[in-house]
Amino acid sequence: MKTDSDHSSEFVIPISYGSTEVIETGKWGFQKPQTSFMTAPCQEACPAGNPIPQFLYLSGEGRYDEALRALLKENPFPGVCGRVCFHPCETDCNRAQYDESVSVRSMERYVSDAASNQPPNLKPMRNRDSKKVAIVGAGPAGLSCAYFLSLLGHQPTIFESQKEPGGVLRWGIPGYRLPKSVLKKEIQRIFHLPIEIRTGIKVGEDLSFDELTRFDAVFLSPGARLNAPLSIEGEDLKRVWKGGDFLERINSKDKVTLVRETLVIGGGNTAMDVARSALRLGSKATVAYRRTRNEMPALQEEIVEAEEEGVGFEFLIQPVKVSLLKNKRLAVKFQRMKLRGLDRTGRPKAIPVKGKFLTLETDHLITAVGEQVDLSWIPQDLIKNGLVDVHPSPRIFAGGDAVDQPRTIVTAISAGKRAAISIDLYREGGSYSEVFSKIRLGNKGSVSMEAYLSGKDGGKWRGPLEVVSYEKLNTLFFEPKKRAKMRQLSLGRRLKNFLEVNVGFSSEEAQLSASRCFSCGTCNYCYNCYFFCPEGAISLDSDHQTRTVDLEHCKGCGTCAKSCPRNVVEMKESS
Amino acid sequence: MREFLTGNHAVAHAVRLCRTPLIAAYPITPQTAIYEKLSEWEASGKLKGIMMRTESEHSAMASCISASLTGVRTFTATSSQGLALMHEMLHFAAGCRVPVVMANVNRIVAAPWGFWADQLDSLSQRDTGWLQFYCENGQEALDTVIQAYRIAEQVYLPAMISLEAFFVSHFMEVVDLPDQEQVDRFLPPMDLPHKFDIDKAGFYVPVVPSELYRKYKHMAQGSMDSVKEVAAQVDQEFRQEFGRGYGIVEPIMVEDAEIVIVTAGSITSTARVAIRALREQGRRVGLLKLRLFRPFPGEVVQQVLQGKKKIAVIDRNISLGSGGIFCQELRGALIHSSDHPLTYSYIAGIGGTDVTPEVIQKIALEVMNRSEPFDKPIWVMDD
Repeated sequence: MKTDSDHSSEFVIPISYGSTEVIETGKWGFQKPQTSFMTAPCQEACPAGNPIPQFLYLSGEGRYDEALRALLKENPFPGVCGRVCFHPCETDCNRAQYDESVSVRSMERYVSDAASNQPPNLKPMRNRDSKKVAIVGAGPAGLSCAYFLSLLGHQPTIFESQKEPGGVLRWGIPGYRLPKSVLKKEIQRIFHLPIEIRTGIKVGEDLSFDELTRFDAVFLSPGARLNAPLSIEGEDLKRVWKGGDFLERINSKDKVTLVRETLVIGGGNTAMDVARSALRLGSKATVAYRRTRNEMPALQEEIVEAEEEGVGFEFLIQPVKVSLLKNKRLAVKFQRMKLRGLDRTGRPKAIPVKGKFLTLETDHLITAVGEQVDLSWIPQDLIKNGLVDVHPSPRIFAGGDAVDQPRTIVTAISAGKRAAISIDLYREGGSYSEVFSKIRLGNKGSVSMEAYLSGKDGGKWRGPLEVVSYEKLNTLFFEPKKRAKMRQLSLGRRLKNFLEVNVGFSSEEAQLSASRCFSCGTCNYCYNCYFFCPEGAISLDSDHQTRTVDLEHCKGCGTCAKSCPRNVVEMKESS
Repeated sequence: MREFLTGNHAVAHAVRLCRTPLIAAYPITPQTAIYEKLSEWEASGKLKGIMMRTESEHSAMASCISASLTGVRTFTATSSQGLALMHEMLHFAAGCRVPVVMANVNRIVAAPWGFWADQLDSLSQRDTGWLQFYCENGQEALDTVIQAYRIAEQVYLPAMISLEAFFVSHFMEVVDLPDQEQVDRFLPPMDLPHKFDIDKAGFYVPVVPSELYRKYKHMAQGSMDSVKEVAAQVDQEFRQEFGRGYGIVEPIMVEDAEIVIVTAGSITSTARVAIRALREQGRRVGLLKLRLFRPFPGEVVQQVLQGKKKIAVIDRNISLGSGGIFCQELRGALIHSSDHPLTYSYIAGIGGTDVTPEVIQKIALEVMNRSEPFDKPIWVMDD
């Protein structure tokens, strides 16, 4: 090898200005690094399959438009989910084992709010096998299905019984949790795609079920809009309202007047929405629930916020009779309950305490003890246990609250996506379970539209990626950092109106939150491999998202794999 | 300004005064106080440089070498096992011709385990190409760090300043702290002709053919040869600026001495007391303190000891199978002196054992009575 000496320094030490590239040190090793992206546990946990590490990386770079585009590949509702999702991603976040989970939900909201108002360029792909699809119900499941179908080049038509689309997002969730403007923006974005919607159409009345079957495929997502009855005496009295109807009236901007006191029956999210809305209409609100606080099905944060706002709670009581008093108030007689044993789902069972009763007086009683599916228009063979079950029919698909699945918004979105993929794959007598097994994200049921699209053309899907466990991370490269606390409207300002309670992150809080993501299994260009590689054999380009290894000079030492904090580099034996 | 300081803290003050931008170190007893003091000052902002807390002494030295090659002054401190772990990098430092300055607190090298004063740790690194200074007390350690930067940055060789565990490192004495202005005047900013040049990227430590290797070793030896002159000149300038100096060796009452005791490090202080007592008894005993050990100032030693009949070298170290290491060097240096003296090797103070004035007087009296050469080392044991 040629060694040139620099004239100014040759009297001190030899410095080579020639290249050592001629030495093919790559031949020395027996293993080579491979970039192997993996699934982060947050992605696995997200029913919609949001590309969480990717969108947080882009957010950290301040590239919010791109972050939004990444989210929209998997989920048409980032603004909605960023506010009202039950965020299983944060529960499963690897960082929770280190200090505190990453604020994924708040960041999803931030991206949705911070991205420019220019609607992203969503275009349907060309599809030679474009199908006409009827969708019943424009809630999160129906809209999501229409969105993905349209992107896949199909022609969806939505039949919606209400005068506007949105379903539970539009008519159920109060504005202080999900502002109407946010929903409107997301729905408008969906309808930039060629999707037909016919509102005010009730299947079974304005259109027969048989007419739906003239379409190439049908997706049923009517939701669960019927309020479950208490089945007790006095339930039909005036001033006894059903929770769903109450919320629908508020969300329709109907004038709703409440007087002094409101009693709410139930322990779920609807009960919390009702009680907190009642407070905002100037009434006192008390929630009566037959189990205890621990068993309430409502989201923890909903319960806490209700408590902060002054909602009262009565536990271990169950209404048995409602009667009208002379002063026009209601008297509600409750049976006292106690917890004994577990029910089939493993929840403690509430059983009556013999002979113990309690009577509460109130001006209004609002029931929120669950929602049921209106099955009046559904053919009998598609009904099972009070829910829609489409297994007998290959061309009919269903999702959302009307079927047997968790009643969450993100699950509904996921159902819409799955149905869209199924319809895209649908051929007479075809099976899609194999495809779904290849495009899944981990093992909790979510699927990746991106993975589906990547394999769609040749019919070749790469197969699912491994999920990165906490143990696989090199946490030496992280340092503890507290999660930003979402600021909220003051109690005084909250209770006078339906303004959004959570005010959102500042740009500094968003940057901090994005930087807290470990980016498990996804390269975020931390450059550790580049800096640690003793051979200088690694090249990274974050602009073009490329990583290359000069295999002629990589000795296969494995330093890059060890120094990768997020388990993206793996050493594989070279052939 | 005069302050009551340990030797370790005196060294830390010197590093601060030299405005060293990069310190890379790993703690080890009995050196840790240097590391801690510098860390404390880094935290309070009193130290302008950066403390790199490395995972080992090997990495500390590697960091110093790399940083030095960017053209900045660097410092590290270590001791014993830490210095041993650094060994490979010591060769790199000398070979890269970087003026890294290091304080080594002389401590025994295990096994058996211990923390006591013994010079074997640094003397084992004799052949790594580093300048080596042995200091008698905290003041000298402080001053020698400042001088070492001046010398090292002139000859492009790294310099090690040794001070003995506890006797110097932890012993508190009044130390005269120089003013920052004085030090700035004495020590100009550092520059290296061979520092990394981003506009002309090069590969350092390339493979070289045999002839080139020989050439660079030969050049380094040339630089080593120049050190005695440079060091003497720097010491003289130091004396002018700060009003005190040390010389590369220090002869004490040697001129009329019948025998000469030779010491290095803290035993010198004790020997000063011992020979004063011997002189009072009318015995003509002199003392030669060795301060610069690498490069070994052979010619100076020859001159100082010209015509002496007998000398005794006291070594707080032992090269097993041979003898005291300072004695070996001295014998080597004197071999070509005409009528060279009988040179006796005394091993005293090994493992931090006490070398009292009485021990030194006993050695002197014994040497006075000897008339035959004696090759083997003579161990001074308490019992």
